[in-house]
Amino acid sequence: MPKPDSDMIRGTLDMLILKVLSLEPMHGWGISERIQQVSDGALQVNQGSLYGSLHRLTRQGWIASEWGRTENNRRARYYRLTPAGERQLGVETTHWDRLSGAVERVLGLT
Amino acid sequence: MRWWSEIRVRMRALLGRDTMEQELEDEVAFHLEREAEKLEAEGLEPREARRLARVRFGGVDRHKEAAREAWGVRTVMELGADIRFALRQLRSRPGFSAVAALTLALGIGGTVALGSAAHGVLVKPLPVPAEDELRVFWSAYNWRGVEFDHVKERTPVFQEVAAWSNEGYSMRRDPGSPSSLISATVGSAELFEVLGTEPLLGRTFQPGDDRPGAEPVVVLAHGLWTRAFGADRGVVGERILLDGTPTTVVGVMPEGFYFPDPAFEAFVPLELDPEDGGYQGNGWLVLTGRLRDGAGPDDVAAGVDAITRALGERFTYPEQWDKTRNAHLVPLREYLVGDSRAPLLLLVGASALLLLLASANVAALLLTRSGDRTREMAVRAALGAGRGRLARQLLTESVVLSLVGGGLGVLLAVGFFRLLVDGLPLAPALRDTLGLETGALLAGLGGAAVLGGLVSLAPVRDLLGGGPSGLGTRGGTAAGGPGSSRVQRALVFAEAAFAVVLVSGAALLVRSVDELRGIDPGLDPRGVLAVDVYLGPGETEAPEREAFFDEVLLEARALPGVESAGLINRVPVRDGGYQGPIGIQDRPELTDTNRPNVAFRTVSPGALEALDVAWVEGRSFDDGDRAGSLPVALVNETMARSLWPGKSALGRRIQATLAPGWFEVVGVVADVAVHDLVSPTPMAAYYPRAQTEASAAGGFLLVETEGDPTALAEPLRRLVGTTDARAAVGRVETMDQVLDAAMSDNLRLRFFLLLFAGVGLALGVVGIYGVVSYAVARRRAEFGLRMALGAEPSRLLAQVVRVGMLPVAGGVVAGVAGAALASRFLREVLFGVAPTDPAAYLTAALILLLTGLLAALVPAVRAARTDPVGALRAE
Repeated sequence: MPKPDSDMIRGTLDMLILKVLSLEPMHGWGISERIQQVSDGALQVNQGSLYGSLHRLTRQGWIASEWGRTENNRRARYYRLTPAGERQLGVETTHWDRLSGAVERVLGLT
Repeated sequence: MRWWSEIRVRMRALLGRDTMEQELEDEVAFHLEREAEKLEAEGLEPREARRLARVRFGGVDRHKEAAREAWGVRTVMELGADIRFALRQLRSRPGFSAVAALTLALGIGGTVALGSAAHGVLVKPLPVPAEDELRVFWSAYNWRGVEFDHVKERTPVFQEVAAWSNEGYSMRRDPGSPSSLISATVGSAELFEVLGTEPLLGRTFQPGDDRPGAEPVVVLAHGLWTRAFGADRGVVGERILLDGTPTTVVGVMPEGFYFPDPAFEAFVPLELDPEDGGYQGNGWLVLTGRLRDGAGPDDVAAGVDAITRALGERFTYPEQWDKTRNAHLVPLREYLVGDSRAPLLLLVGASALLLLLASANVAALLLTRSGDRTREMAVRAALGAGRGRLARQLLTESVVLSLVGGGLGVLLAVGFFRLLVDGLPLAPALRDTLGLETGALLAGLGGAAVLGGLVSLAPVRDLLGGGPSGLGTRGGTAAGGPGSSRVQRALVFAEAAFAVVLVSGAALLVRSVDELRGIDPGLDPRGVLAVDVYLGPGETEAPEREAFFDEVLLEARALPGVESAGLINRVPVRDGGYQGPIGIQDRPELTDTNRPNVAFRTVSPGALEALDVAWVEGRSFDDGDRAGSLPVALVNETMARSLWPGKSALGRRIQATLAPGWFEVVGVVADVAVHDLVSPTPMAAYYPRAQTEASAAGGFLLVETEGDPTALAEPLRRLVGTTDARAAVGRVETMDQVLDAAMSDNLRLRFFLLLFAGVGLALGVVGIYGVVSYAVARRRAEFGLRMALGAEPSRLLAQVVRVGMLPVAGGVVAGVAGAALASRFLREVLFGVAPTDPAAYLTAALILLLTGLLAALVPAVRAARTDPVGALRAE
């Protein structure tokens, strides 16, 4: 059985995936690379656990997948954001902003 | 949209499982390759790069599993795996699985089939509308025509009242075709209004059909219409011959309709002629009425009072059959199938008991096995299987097992239903109306699933309650906690109790049949065939019929192997009736209702000889006893003793129930059973056929042979046909069959109860054996140690036997108590044995204790022979 991620972390990973996919369709490895690059390695994605999230998001209808070819002409599964996923990203971003704003305000207390 | 993708993913995961798996595989492989390439590009060795890629990915299988879980079908997939695993487990222990599944199959199949039959007879509506409004009047009595006409005018609480009875007819479609004998219901004109069923074709009875001078008509049942008339719709209006009388077919009843049972295939109006002697004379009718809508119990009671009063104003009754005193309305169903209720419910109960026994047995077997499987469970737990997961596995196994049993049981029920129904203690015609009901089959499967859940409770409890160490820290020997052996003992207790109930029921029936067999019917059935011969009176003259029967008798006596042959009007033991009060010349004080009620039997010379009836005194009939010679009679011992105690009956003069004049008693014969085997023999008198009903249309030919009497059936049929083409042969039975039929309910019940008891006993033995061997296996090391320390093998033996026998003994005691309580259901079917007969219970208890002891001894002896060294080393 996988180690239980806390909801917070799993939710965050889902949000990051949705965000990355909102830019362009991408395969799993690409997503993990992008998250690490963009965060300058600050967010170390556990590469394996990415796939649990991807399959769950697919079932929830927020992302969809199809098989395509990479630039090196290799078969890979590409994930893309669905309209429902876009809406969900909006919701989660708002939540995140509210949460992080709240945390900042608490930390900003002097 | 979301629900759609949910369904799509789940459906794909279930149906396109292999594709999904392959895609996941490819996807992960691509990821690892890509990561390794990146690492290589950063300057790592290819091998090292691949290794590091896997490390960064984390546990590959673990994450794949997480992805699978995301498909949302894990429970379903695991169920599939559990079922496959369960089937593999069952196959790997074919002996255990076969015993468990077959015993469940027997219990379920038997209960389903018997329940279905009982439902068909006792619950399913009769083929008439609103049958609950139908009542039979004073069912213990027969009614006269004059009483019926009197009563039917005076029953405000009934919409209609009809009188009916049953008779046989010879039937031919036209004068050229062969005769067949049919059974018919004869009824007053109101019969179909009371029953309320509309005809399929034509009409039913109409007012006046039952009065003198009416045109003879007949209504056909659907079965006869199909069989004898090829379902020809043009038959309505056609004239057929009933007993040789041209009779118009006026209607055909719809399929499925019967009254009073499917053996009666035609409906003929009664002839109620006030001028006829029979109208005033003997009762032979059944009265049935339909209550008015909304008649409550009070209305009915008032209506019954009104009828009673009306009867009292018009008729005087002898005390022993006073209809004004014993008023009693019986629902039609009670009247028709009331006798079948007790035996049917008895059998359903017995098979349900067997099912319970089988379930207890399977539970005990599962428990023993779960003990054996402690090591397996421990390994699986160590590999990460959760306790709930293991419990679910056990549950699946036991449900799969009982569903296999249930499926087999349903197959058994379907395959053997006809055979079973033919074996039931029911009227033969009623058996044909029974079918296996789909509902019962589904209930059987559903019940099997529930049973599966229930029998897994004990092993699951064992698994969950054992604590962490309960999951087998000590290998195979630490099976089960103390709780499991308590449950096992309870199961053996239950098995023994159920088995005792079944065995004692069987013992009671065995004794009852012995009692029945011990009855002397007053005749020797060996080698005797009884053939129903009939020559319709409508198209033959009296002398023709007389000549015909004389000829048949002569020819029959000439057949090879025939010792004696004669005619009789009623077959002993089988056919009652033909009974009524007669005058006795030297007892003139016996008048009216005080006259003795005597069975009227007419015989030709040879009939009583064929039956080897014993003579007490006097002579038999011979060919000299003809019309015109001195009228003579024989009486049975009961009659001679009751009327002329201590004196000879010879020379006394008596009347006959259904013939005029006085007859001189020339002989006394031993009592021969009249109605059946068990009721006390009534007074009976025998008269020469030639002096009483020489020209009767029918008679039973009794033929005695040295060899097998059934071999005579065909020659006799041919003989009748060649003597007169218009004659018909009805029922043909050996006297042995007649006697068996008289005790058939008991024989049939005995058969089933012996079967159930045998299976129950076998199950009990398996259960006891299992429990004792289990206990022995568990304590093998302890025994080895004690033997090494010098314990007596005999003491060990006794101790082990006690483990097995204590619950058996307890179960036997409880079972005997339960059987004694349940035995009142047997009262109606037993003859000559009290339902609480101590011998039967003692026998059952002994049988169970002995078989239990045997089952316990085998493993106990093995325990006493334990090799101390080997046992300790195995630890």
